[in-house]
Amino acid sequence: MSVRRAATAVALPIVLLTAWWFISAGSTDYQWPPLSKIVAAFVATWTPDRLRSEVVPSLERLAAGYALAVVLGIGLGVLIGSSPWLRAFCEPVLEFMRAIPPPVLVPIIMLVAGIGDAMKVVVIASGCIWPVLLNTVEGVRGRDEVLSDTCRVYGVRGGLRLRHLILRAASPQILTGARQALSIAIILMVISELFAAQNGLGFTVMQFSRGFQIPEMWSGVFLLGFIGVALAGAYQLAERWLLRWYHGQRSTGTGPRES
Amino acid sequence: MGGHRPGVLGLIGLASFAVALEIAPRAGLVPSEYAPPTSRIAVALGRLVQQNEFWIALRDTIITWGIGLGIAVAAGVLAGVVLGAVPLLWELASTTVEFLRPIPSVALIPLVIVLFGSTIESSVVLVVYAAFWQVLLQVLHGVADVDPVARDTARAYQLGRWARIRYLVWPTALPYVVTGVRLAASVALILAITGELVVGSPGLGKQIEVARQSGAVANVYALVVVTGILGVLANVAMRAIERRALAWHTAVRRDVAGSAVKEERAEVLA
Amino acid sequence: MRRIIALFAAAALFGAAACNSSNGTPSTPGQPDNVNVGVIAIVDVAPIYLGKQQGFFSKRNINLTLTTAQGGAAIVPAVVSGQYQFGFSNTVSLLLAAQNGLPLKVVCNGNNSTGMADADFAGLFVKADSPIKSPKELVGKTVAANTLKNIVEISVRDSVKKDGGDAAGVKFAELPFPDQLPALQAGRVDAIFVVEPFQAAAIAAGARKIASSYVDAAPNLTVAMYFTSNQLRTSNPGLVTRFTEAMKESLAYADTHPDEVRTVLGTYTQITAEVRAKLTLPKWPAEIDKASVQALAEHAQSYGLLTKQPDIAALLP
Repeated sequence: MSVRRAATAVALPIVLLTAWWFISAGSTDYQWPPLSKIVAAFVATWTPDRLRSEVVPSLERLAAGYALAVVLGIGLGVLIGSSPWLRAFCEPVLEFMRAIPPPVLVPIIMLVAGIGDAMKVVVIASGCIWPVLLNTVEGVRGRDEVLSDTCRVYGVRGGLRLRHLILRAASPQILTGARQALSIAIILMVISELFAAQNGLGFTVMQFSRGFQIPEMWSGVFLLGFIGVALAGAYQLAERWLLRWYHGQRSTGTGPRES
Repeated sequence: MGGHRPGVLGLIGLASFAVALEIAPRAGLVPSEYAPPTSRIAVALGRLVQQNEFWIALRDTIITWGIGLGIAVAAGVLAGVVLGAVPLLWELASTTVEFLRPIPSVALIPLVIVLFGSTIESSVVLVVYAAFWQVLLQVLHGVADVDPVARDTARAYQLGRWARIRYLVWPTALPYVVTGVRLAASVALILAITGELVVGSPGLGKQIEVARQSGAVANVYALVVVTGILGVLANVAMRAIERRALAWHTAVRRDVAGSAVKEERAEVLA
Repeated sequence: MRRIIALFAAAALFGAAACNSSNGTPSTPGQPDNVNVGVIAIVDVAPIYLGKQQGFFSKRNINLTLTTAQGGAAIVPAVVSGQYQFGFSNTVSLLLAAQNGLPLKVVCNGNNSTGMADADFAGLFVKADSPIKSPKELVGKTVAANTLKNIVEISVRDSVKKDGGDAAGVKFAELPFPDQLPALQAGRVDAIFVVEPFQAAAIAAGARKIASSYVDAAPNLTVAMYFTSNQLRTSNPGLVTRFTEAMKESLAYADTHPDEVRTVLGTYTQITAEVRAKLTLPKWPAEIDKASVQALAEHAQSYGLLTKQPDIAALLP
């Protein structure tokens, strides 16, 4: 990464953080502690021990729920997207389920999945499956007619057709959906830990908030942000690898796509 | 898409779902005191719609949702087009955006309570915060997805920035924007109700919480059904808008891209 | 004479224009104060609803608006920031707030335990066929509490200690009240501690009560109280006094008119009439039981919920 790129990447955050530091410096308002206090709380709270006991379980559940959502979402999405009548049949029910807010679904899921890790994984999956499912359906639906006709002419069928035509054509859309699902997964990771949790990052932040330990709460929010950035970065690397054919095609003439 | 067929099939889908939910509690698959069968929910719903406070709560939720979504879409499209069109701005803003985006709206709840209390404004803020990123992401994808050949053509013809946005960026980005608005609409509804549930802003979410704390299980499910119905209605409305806006989409893209792209893609397969 | 009246009128108009009429700021003489109180839609706050209905507030020039919020975590910051003039919160949350230096002060009592072991408005329940017969057997088991590190944890640990068990050995899982009974019946938790109307539901479902933990924590335990911000106390002490008097009158009225309480419950909750008729109501004494607050604070510190003893004398009126 060039120096210029590194500089522009950090310029705005540095300006904002410096401004925050100085503006909040003398604050006695308990809801807006000085940034210096938040930083101190961050260092004091998130020790390697705590990271291991609180953050790792959260991330494990996040990964499991996300993976479940992606697999189910793509699977169901291909199925539903390929068949117009199945799509018409399922759409209102899916839209109905999707509109139900997760905090409301959690008690219902608890009835079936208990109050342990399984429940949290299901809660995460239940929320972040929707962008994957929707985008997969759209992607499968909107495939290039020329490609589709060419496949038919050449007699390409079955698994080969699935891989080269349907998934290839839908993959930009699917990856957009997977990207959104990641942000939703992080939100749900926090929500799933508001109920019946005994550990986790979201759980810890909520306990800080309930115990009026505001600088610690803010430090937890920062940590959530850092984790989000890390996951987004990891995601971009994965996407770049998976979509190298798309990028290659697009790059004829104008260089790699900016993401 | 055939005229009436999708509608009827969709209704059949809903009906089968309702039947399944009637059978499951009765068959003991789920405990029926906490997951009542559809018939009991229907009775509770019937009672609910006769109460004035239900309609007031419904109106409050719709207002929160509409205002929040409107602000999020306007801001998202504006920010997306500007950031997408001026690469330097995106370079500067990208890390900040990538940092702010994953912070869950639930983390904003204490902040929002301090600023606005349990008023509608609190929930609107939560809605805008969550929905904005959905729209922004989609718009950015759309802007970045402009066909390179078309972009070169525009440059060759020396189209100004504004003309480029109008004739090149906007048609390419439009399907993404529409998907973004549709996704944002559902996220907005979910956040509106979550906000009402947790913060106590007036609306359906608050009614759900009151019902929960009163142990009125059937009422909770009845209200949940109402939120689901709202979501379905919203989707129907968004699809209608999408259809109208994109009636010319494929045709336009084909024109913009030109026949050159068709040849390229056929080569990939052969 | 006319000039004096005119001067007076001008001063009154100027005063009205100068002070905005938003919530709770000092209003002109003759105009009632707009007061917004943050409460939770539960049985405990019936007195304030009843008092509003009976006109105890309006006769003291208070235009009362009751806003339901999700819990102390939502109400406390809103009171501190001035969104609400007064709030309702449980005693332990208030002790925690005091420990963290929040600028609050309690103005009057909220509700108390009935003090009677078999007839309290809350209880510790196990499943009908559970092998657990008394609180000390809960050591090593999981109890559901609606909020962790709060009054339920302290009370249940007190029950275990009183029964001769190791109080620190009990594990807690945080579960909202409505979800506790299903979890108990499905065997996900070993015991639950619930308040009305969930206590009535637990009894109806056949659960067995093994302790009345609020009674074990302290006699006549002050479960919750009404509080305000230091800022309002200094800017409008008269309003605080009038509100306190109205509340005391409401509490006394509620304590002596249980039937009217059951009726008013129907106006702000969705508890059905049959359940309302069966519930055990909390006690609503007009004065705070300060000894019980002290006891709670000491137990909280011994269980590690508080790091130091807050200044209770400064917190309470």
